[in-house]
Amino acid sequence: MDLSVKIGNVTFKNPVTVASGTWGLVEGYSSSSLGAVIPKTVTLYARQGNPPPRIVETPAGMVNAIGIENPGADAFIAGKLMEIKKIGVPVIASVSGNSDEEFQALTEKFNLAGVSALELNLSCPNLKHKTLVAQDPIAVKRVVALVKKLARMPVVAKLSPNVTDISVIAKAAEDAGADAVSLVNTFTAMVIDVHKRKSMIGNFTGGLSGPAIRPIAVAMVYKTAQTVKIPIIAMGGIMTAEDALQFIIAGATMVAVGTASFVNPETPVEVLEGIKEYMKKNKIKDIKELVGSIQGS
Amino acid sequence: MRDTFKIVSNEKLCPKFYKLCLEAKSIAQKAKPGQFVHIRVNAELEPFFRRPFSIHRANKYLEICYEVIGPGTKILAAKKPGENLDILGPLGNGFMLPPQGIKKVAIVAGGMGVAPFLALTDQLKKKYEIILLYGGRTKDHIFSLKAYKDNGCKIYISTDDGSVGTKGRVSELFSKIIPDASTYIYTCGPKPMIKAVQDFANKHQLKGQASLEEVMACGVGVCLGCATATIHGYKTVCHDGPVFELGEVVLGK
Repeated sequence: MDLSVKIGNVTFKNPVTVASGTWGLVEGYSSSSLGAVIPKTVTLYARQGNPPPRIVETPAGMVNAIGIENPGADAFIAGKLMEIKKIGVPVIASVSGNSDEEFQALTEKFNLAGVSALELNLSCPNLKHKTLVAQDPIAVKRVVALVKKLARMPVVAKLSPNVTDISVIAKAAEDAGADAVSLVNTFTAMVIDVHKRKSMIGNFTGGLSGPAIRPIAVAMVYKTAQTVKIPIIAMGGIMTAEDALQFIIAGATMVAVGTASFVNPETPVEVLEGIKEYMKKNKIKDIKELVGSIQGS
Repeated sequence: MRDTFKIVSNEKLCPKFYKLCLEAKSIAQKAKPGQFVHIRVNAELEPFFRRPFSIHRANKYLEICYEVIGPGTKILAAKKPGENLDILGPLGNGFMLPPQGIKKVAIVAGGMGVAPFLALTDQLKKKYEIILLYGGRTKDHIFSLKAYKDNGCKIYISTDDGSVGTKGRVSELFSKIIPDASTYIYTCGPKPMIKAVQDFANKHQLKGQASLEEVMACGVGVCLGCATATIHGYKTVCHDGPVFELGEVVLGK
């Protein structure tokens, strides 16, 4: 059974990874069998994150506004990344910058850090406009192009679903040379405490994740797969192998488990095992046969 | 770290609170006072998060106490002996022993915040003189008094309505603490209460530890959702805590 998939010139032993910010080097979060791990997004400088409360439970999901709390790229590369690399699983580093210069500096740092790919978290401010980079195809094109010029590893553009048509943004990333796109990040969301008439999130709004968003994410992946030729890393509420298979059949090359790990840290491994069982049962020898295999489209 | 454990009993502990006993040897053997367990109350998507509960006692069985407040505890209260629960734990740092030179321990607990102190007093009873200042809403919200008494605690109670003990908040009882250099404080309960304890400790230059509570997702320091402000920046209640140096936590209003 061939489970291997390719992003740019890098081959991953299987298509299952974790969504940035939902996995860590913690007992119970097994990862040695996964295709790759994507650690939490790092920025050029340390960030303390948003004021609490940072999370709230919602129907079949959660809203979070953590605020990319991280120690900064240098501390991450010298510290946690070294420990993560010991597991022996390819690392897709996730980075976010507040400017073109920060994205360039991050790329140069990670060029020397020995990671398998670089994921650009584009849900960051687009300084000249009042949008996120991920909401502006011109900005996406610019950031991806400048990172591609420097990067020695495949570059993945992580896209926000808070747009009119995510496939337009994905196309902009592809045109700029991205080796893959990953989608979806969280949906802008809010929960209000009616007794206090206050937002339940310190940052006022946050991002919705979990199984609540899965069907929307599947539709976005499907549409994007019809539009771009580069591989898609799909995430959005995956709890089971069947959930992951929906994304693969819709056109995703890799799948990332996110919020589900907070409920059951073994979900990524269970998803991988479930995909193998499905392939065995349906006599599928190569996972690539499944990618985009949706009928009647 | 994650396993399913059988419920031994799940009964009312006092008119308002429940106690859940689990056959969970692997957790009970490892657990330190002040640690917690993260329980998935059912396998459905509602409620979505696990629920954290401090460990009341971990001897033959693992014991936790809870109040039925939301959908999670409502489901928990309906669980019967013999059923299994999916549990992560023990999690968090737990209480540290008092530093050298301490002879007297003052525990200040509010409401369900008393829960983790039974395990702590099990550990401290032989070496320290313990007083427990315990505030509850009414007499129906007070529990485990006999167990604390058996651990040699001198107990002072306050209730909001005066149905038992002193009427008012637990801060009415602070005068029972002898504020000298051999006294050490442990506290757990609502934030305004912890703030009052912190102010008292500052005034009398006492040191201690506070156990905090926060909404949690992962419970193991991955999601950074349960951040709390400290003088050293944000820390996670689940992984860096739930126990912090009393002087370290930054409490708002």
